[in-house]
Amino acid sequence: MPEAKKVTKVAIVVSEGTFDKAMESLMIANTAASMGMEVHIFHTFFGLKLVTKTANPKAPGMYRLFTGMFKKKMLAVGVEGYPAQKKMALELGVKMYACSTSMGVMGVKQEDLDPGVIVLGAAAFLNIAADTDMQYFIG
Amino acid sequence: MDKDETLDSRGLMCPMPIVKLAKKMKELQVGKVVELIADDPGSKEDVPAWTQRTGNELVEMRQDGKIFYFYIKKKQA
Repeated sequence: MPEAKKVTKVAIVVSEGTFDKAMESLMIANTAASMGMEVHIFHTFFGLKLVTKTANPKAPGMYRLFTGMFKKKMLAVGVEGYPAQKKMALELGVKMYACSTSMGVMGVKQEDLDPGVIVLGAAAFLNIAADTDMQYFIG
Repeated sequence: MDKDETLDSRGLMCPMPIVKLAKKMKELQVGKVVELIADDPGSKEDVPAWTQRTGNELVEMRQDGKIFYFYIKKKQA
């Protein structure tokens, strides 16, 4: 019998909630999931807002005003906006986590989170990340 | 090159051709061949990387100007 193929695992930490960081994390995540990899994303600090139902990230700093233009240009090459990317990620089985401390600090409640998002702390995420093959920090 | 299905991803850029290819391959039976048409210059490296990583077979790849044609056979998962 052939040896069972090992599934490659990826851990991503997102600590910023701007449009660029949001899109980077999910474009990596959705590609990895499409390659058959198992993906875990931990959302902390300003990244937490990305896993709330009302998430609508804007480009950072002065570029905030150009968010619409970025979105339009990406849509023109088939890359949909953040809410669509997030829906796709959840459909592809990407695991999303919300940092419990950030939730307390930022006043985000469990019911504000997208369905499927798991609330945990650093120890639980580190326990997951310890068994991954690749780790990304987006912040 | 014989093919069972065609996926035209012209106009789409990374990562959409790969995301759509993965979705299409899931629906396909083992042994069937998909023709993927792409004009994302990154696809020249991305598609072979995807087939290598997922264990599917890139039977043929050719380039016509700025357009790439990939023939990918679905292998046993």
